This record gives sequence, structure tokens and C-alpha cells, in this order.
Amino acid sequence: MGDLIVFLILLALGYGFGRAAELRHFKNIQKREKLLQSIPAIASKIPDPSLHPRQVQLVAGNVVISVDYFKRFIAGLRNLVGGRVTAYETLLDRARREAILRMKEEAKTLGANLVFNVKFETASITKGRKNQIGSVEVLAYGTAFIE
Amino acid sequence: MDYSNPDLPEGINYSKTHPLKEFAILTAGVFGVLIIAVVVLGLLADHFAQYIPYRVETKFRILVPDHDDGPAPLNDYLNTLAKRIAVAEQLPPGMNITVHYVDSDTVNAYATLGGHIVLFRGLLEKLQHENALAMVMAHEIAHVKYRHVIRSLGSGLVIGIALSMLNTSLGNTVVSGMIDQTSQVGMLKFSRTHEQQADDTALDSLQQQYGHIGGAEELFAAIKAEEKLDFVPVFLRTHPDTDARITHIRQLRQQRGQRQLTLTPLPAEFMTWLHSDTAAQPE
Repeated sequence: MGDLIVFLILLALGYGFGRAAELRHFKNIQKREKLLQSIPAIASKIPDPSLHPRQVQLVAGNVVISVDYFKRFIAGLRNLVGGRVTAYETLLDRARREAILRMKEEAKTLGANLVFNVKFETASITKGRKNQIGSVEVLAYGTAFIE
Repeated sequence: MDYSNPDLPEGINYSKTHPLKEFAILTAGVFGVLIIAVVVLGLLADHFAQYIPYRVETKFRILVPDHDDGPAPLNDYLNTLAKRIAVAEQLPPGMNITVHYVDSDTVNAYATLGGHIVLFRGLLEKLQHENALAMVMAHEIAHVKYRHVIRSLGSGLVIGIALSMLNTSLGNTVVSGMIDQTSQVGMLKFSRTHEQQADDTALDSLQQQYGHIGGAEELFAAIKAEEKLDFVPVFLRTHPDTDARITHIRQLRQQRGQRQLTLTPLPAEFMTWLHSDTAAQPE
């Protein structure tokens, strides 16, 4: 009985804080994406030959986001029955967009107007403690073209 | 060439299902199936365990005290009473009852494998009449009669093994914890069914021995006094609600027109026996 109460409290806290943080983060991402839309992030490896940047430089943006108790619980149930792990979809979407934004912010400080050859690295931070820590790391990096 | 990023619509990379909806569907589905599985497994084990020959049970000594604490007259009295109840409940041949008395404050009594019944001083000293004592013993003897001990042990084992296999392959501590909790709720159902059956049989044997079922509620009144601080809801309990048990006995008494009853007193020395220091000490 005591276990059940503790569990429900953790679940409610996880949902409350996790959901609030997620909604706030999404709002923040949308706002910054508009601001940085002038600096396109391009996946292509070979730039147009007409471009003659004064300088090129590596830019990177890195982010680590943790899942909450609630997300981990419903993802655990999903493991039993299969299907889209919707709880983690928003998590990864936030992480990727945040990483790109941080990369673009670095490019902006350098005075770049384009980031080329953009790539992602994703890692889950568990290091053997599979059930205690559930965090995802996303690194976005590319070549900033500075005119 | 002009490079640009399109203005992507929001939410193309994740589902729009509300997390609470997802939670409701998943928990209802998974735990619904789980409870059904636990109940089916438990029912099967509960059913088949009674085909284990009784003599197998007698080979185990689980939760049986090593020695009897009470003085010899008390043990004689308890065992004689047990024999009378065993006859009233029509125990099959070979099913012998052994009563053990433990000098401890615990307000409890239980039946274990092999027809051993354990009574604690804490419970006995709260009883005023032989009828109430006979009710406790008849209840525990009924557990022996219907093989409830080995049946709950059997279903507990089967469910436990099945769940540990599931939890090991799942490897998720949060979900595993929840699965254990749910299955316990499912298993308690059996326990309550067994208790109900034992109560009914015990009341029948009281009726047969004393001609009425008076004094049975005295036992539950004693139990109730002990559980004052207990707020566990009925579906999370091993035993039926004590109030419901008392009400049930009162209703039965009314139906049978048993109002003014003569209760059989306990032997005059009963309290002396319970508090005697001459208790047989093992040496």
C-alpha cells in the first residue's frame, strides 16, 4: 500500500513537472527557430561553387535531456505490447531541435549566414545504470560559412 | 544558389496523442491482462493443489513452533476441543489436527501445512467463552479441511515464478514494481474466498456442537478491537471486512431465531493456564 502511494506520487510529480517543462521548452524552441531562420542548416556535403566564404569553421550544439518518471513508466509498458513510443518522440524532437538551435546560435555569433554539412550524433546516457538514468544526448555539428 | 530552410509545421515528428490518454490505454490494457492472467493461473494452481496427497503435506514443518508453551492441561484441553471440532467438520480419515499454543502477545491464530494449528496467547486471553475459542479453531481447522494452506502456497508459487520470469525478461524496475503490486491485489481475492469458506464451515460446526452460533461474534469483536488503526480498503486485505463478518453472524442468528443463548464458559483455570509460569520449557 505504501509502495503504491509513493509510486503514484512519483508518477504525478513526473507528469506535472515533465509536462510543464516540455510545453515551456517547445514554446521556447519555436520562438528561437523563427529568430534563427535566416541561417539555414543544410545537410548537403558539397556547397554551390558560386559560394566563396571568407572563412569556414566547425560549429556544434549539444544538449542532454532527461526523461521523467511518467514517461519512463509508459515507455516501459510500451515495451510489453509494442507500438510507437510516443512518450519518447517528443523528447527526441525537442533534443534535435535544441541541438540545431544551439549550433545556429554559435554560427550567428561568428557572423555566419549558412551552416553546411550538418550532422547529428545521438547517445543515450545510461552507462550500465539502465533503469536509473534515462537521458538522451544529441549533438548537432556542421561547417559555418562566414562571408 | 539560394539556400533556405522551409518553415516546417509544428508536430510533424511526434504523435499528438495526449500522454494521459496513452497512459490510460496502456495501464488499463496491460494491468487488465495481467490481473486476468494472475487469476487464471491462481485458479488453476488453487484447483490442482488439492490433488497433492495430504501425506505429502505432513512431511513439511513450516511455521510450526518447536515446542508448546502452555501447561499440559491447557494443551490437553485445546487438543480435545480440536478433536471435537474435527469430528463436527467431518475431516477425512488421516487428516489429524495438532494444536500449538504460543505464549506471545500477538493477537492471531493460523493453520499451516500438515494440520498444525497455532494459537497465540494474545488472542486467547481476549476470549470469554468456549464458543469463541471453538470459532477460531473451527475456522483454522476448516482451512486444513479444504487444503487452503497448500492451495494458497501453490498458487502463490506459480504466480510468483511466472511474474519473476516476466520481470526478468522485462528488466524495467519501475514497471516490475507495479506488476508485483497488481498481482498481489489479484492474489488477495483467493485469500478472501478461502476465509469466507472457512467462516461458513466454522459457523456450521458451532451450530452442530452447541446448538447455536452464539459467541462467534465475540471473536470478531476481539479482532476488531485490534485493528482500530487499520484503514486498508477491503480489496487490499487478506481477510474480509470484520464488520461485515460480524453483521453476517448477527443476520444468521436472527434468521435462526437465536436471541437468548447460553454460552459455554471456558474452563475456570483457563486464565491461570495462560499466565502460568510453569509452562513447559524446553531444555
